[in-house]
Amino acid sequence: MIVADQKPLNELKSLTRGGENVLVVGCGTCVTVCFAGGAREAAITASSLRMAFKLDGNSRQVSDVTVQRQCEWEYLDQIAEQVKEADVVLSLGCGVGVQAIAEHFPETWVVPGLNTSFMGMPTEQGVWAERCAACGDCILGLTGGICPIARCSKSLLNGPCGGSEGGHCEVNPETPCAWQLIYDRLTGMGKLDVLMEIQPPKNWRAARDGGPRKIVREDLRLAKEEE
Amino acid sequence: MEHVRNILQQIGLEPERVEMVNLSSAMAGEFVAAATQMTERIKTMGKNPLRSDLLGDRHTESER
Ligand code: SF4
Ligand code: SF4
Repeated sequence: MIVADQKPLNELKSLTRGGENVLVVGCGTCVTVCFAGGAREAAITASSLRMAFKLDGNSRQVSDVTVQRQCEWEYLDQIAEQVKEADVVLSLGCGVGVQAIAEHFPETWVVPGLNTSFMGMPTEQGVWAERCAACGDCILGLTGGICPIARCSKSLLNGPCGGSEGGHCEVNPETPCAWQLIYDRLTGMGKLDVLMEIQPPKNWRAARDGGPRKIVREDLRLAKEEE
Repeated sequence: MEHVRNILQQIGLEPERVEMVNLSSAMAGEFVAAATQMTERIKTMGKNPLRSDLLGDRHTESER
């Protein structure tokens, strides 16, 4: 899932300044399950803003609505009326959701209510950890299902580095060394020989280094006349 | 509870306005103590400034 974190209320106040009618838009997918921007958080954010504005002595309107997925036009169509009435939309979606609103409603001023952090998973109640950096050329098959791009602080392909100590990373001792994890897992499974295979250089053009990425599936596209 | 207090603080209200106490039905004394403590605390802090009937006063005061 995409994991995000809420921005402080003061920042939200400043981002929405100038708008008399603020619409907080939550998203029912990733940010709901990481407790950052679902229906519950949208309602709490809206009422926190109402209280804060009231204490500041102004009577700005704040309402909230949550869509199933902010990153798809179909779901955004459902809130078109509310968006039109708002002076500013405070999106509690990830960065994709914010941009989808901006793109779908060109006349609307939209601001982010979250800091989109990473792609990861909950490792225990209340703790989320990064797992994938969307490099576009997945090598988990060579590393025992542990990603050195996202989980090694230096994204090394030939780790561990000299700073790996007792299973911990030198960049942050609280981070397990990804290469130690890889080595331990492959050893345990009797597959250490995987690491001995000579690999061609990784294709970084499939990552962010090649500029913004796009996937086109011709088989799924609507035929020209149907569009 | 930490989260709620944090939200209250960010809004500009005293976080101490909310408190959670775990008690069983056999803890009458503790219940009375907690209720008394909370009542005293709220009395010291004053009424909720967000109540609209009080908000007017508050702003008139700050404008004076
Ligand atoms: S190798 Fe690339 S695609 Fe695979 S998990 Fe790591 S970052 Fe994600
Ligand atoms: S200690 Fe391990 S995780 Fe940290 S940078 Fe070195 S190889 Fe990567």
